Amino acid sequence: MSQQPTDGKIVVDGIDKRFRSESGVVEALRDVNFAVTEGEFVCLIGASGAGKTTLFRIIAGLEPASKGTVWLDGEPIDGPGMDRGMVFQEYGLFPWRTVMGNVTFGLEQRGLDSTARRDRAQEMIDLVGLDGFEDSYPKELSGGMKQRVGIARALAVDPEILLMDEPFGSVDAQTKGRLHDELLDIWSATNKTVLFVTHDVDEAVTLADRVVVLTGSPGSVHEVVEIDLDRPRSRTDDAFAEYEQQLRDAIE
Amino acid sequence: MSIDTTTESESGLVTDEELLESGRRQRLLRGTIGTAVFLFIWQVSATPVPTYLLPTPLAVAQAFIVELTAPTTFILPLVGTEVTLTRMIVGLINSLYHYIPGLFVGGAAGIAFGIALGWSRLLDDAITPVQRVLRPIPPLAWIAFAIVWLGVNHQGAAFIVGIGAFWINFYNAYAGVKSVPQSTQEVAASLGVESDLTMIRKVVVPKASPEIMTGIRTSIGQSWMIVVAAELFGAPGVGFQIINAAQNLALDVSVAYMFVISIVFLISDGIFQRVESRVLVWRE
Repeated sequence: MSQQPTDGKIVVDGIDKRFRSESGVVEALRDVNFAVTEGEFVCLIGASGAGKTTLFRIIAGLEPASKGTVWLDGEPIDGPGMDRGMVFQEYGLFPWRTVMGNVTFGLEQRGLDSTARRDRAQEMIDLVGLDGFEDSYPKELSGGMKQRVGIARALAVDPEILLMDEPFGSVDAQTKGRLHDELLDIWSATNKTVLFVTHDVDEAVTLADRVVVLTGSPGSVHEVVEIDLDRPRSRTDDAFAEYEQQLRDAIE
Repeated sequence: MSIDTTTESESGLVTDEELLESGRRQRLLRGTIGTAVFLFIWQVSATPVPTYLLPTPLAVAQAFIVELTAPTTFILPLVGTEVTLTRMIVGLINSLYHYIPGLFVGGAAGIAFGIALGWSRLLDDAITPVQRVLRPIPPLAWIAFAIVWLGVNHQGAAFIVGIGAFWINFYNAYAGVKSVPQSTQEVAASLGVESDLTMIRKVVVPKASPEIMTGIRTSIGQSWMIVVAAELFGAPGVGFQIINAAQNLALDVSVAYMFVISIVFLISDGIFQRVESRVLVWRE
């Protein structure tokens, strides 16, 4: 039985990924290594085609790696699970369920009784600022509100980590800014470890403690940038702009 | 609390409600005129010809009332007691005796098979060749089996109706399940859904429910066609009355029974439409 090689909440250890496609075998990732410590907010950034989403899916347990292991709390990941709360770009809400119904979904699988489910879900709905919309269906919500439901649903089962795949990619810039603030508030209130995939440099500098830059094809870790700025961060800061430039250079 | 969707009306502008109301009134007016023109043309063209070629609307209305009120005895199945009802009601009850069981059993089996094949790659691969060959066969072509297995009676007719309802519901449920995106199931898996049964019950069926409901609704209508066709062979009911009256050249009675089917369909479709919009209130 192998052991987790280094300390960390999440340890991505020598991940390779190859796909079979019509034009032969495509290599998406080669020897990807990095670690995320407990309570840390890490952004995974890279140009499209660098395998960000593939890596996200491997960490989520939705796809197996061709080689290597992803460790979570010292245990190898081998499938999706409630220890990882997932938030997707296209929200992935269940349209036939209300906001309350979406947030309680994971709690039902846990076998909580209905009062406990509602209490817990209400707490999460309040946390993301959607109180008053418990009985609304997803079709009645804006993109930003949908993603708040997505976050509340992922947090409801109290996962070890929060995995987010370009969660704010489909919302307008203004809403995005507000969601960033809210996400950081939620993060500090819950002490969750967050791994956040994005292609938006500005977003990465706004949110992350550290940014893992994935480049090349097949993708591998090019650089890990520590963002040493106090929060809340201001886009107009010189240091902010420098980090942005550094990341932009790293991606290209 | 729900989201407020009403718009404020400013003075001088028509409200949405008024706009809708005037649209409704216009549609009602046009519909009334269209119907009147249709009845007029029918009356004018039917007046010079004998009833056995084309009955007038008035003759049909008369026949409708006669059939609706003419008393006849009816032996309640299962119970066996004889009751006095009217000819039209008896015909309708007879039709419903094979329509309803055929629709329910065939429809339920169709939905179950559709979900199973839509979900399981193994079953789909194994059964699809047979399914492809059997599906184009019209329900009525199975009449031979209906007769030799069950006879020319309610069971035989229900069997034919059931085959029709089966395929309509099978195909809709199958397509609905097939259209459930992989990502929806992945979200559910990340929220702790592990067994296939839970995934089907809590994710796949709800997501496919619009297609399943469409199948049910389509089969409610289509099954009436099959009822009439099945009764061609002598099973009692509205379809038999249509054919029987036509053979006696009483086309006014025939058309009256044709309208019975239409009325029953409109009522059942209307009821189901309400059920559907309530069940699918979440649909975009």
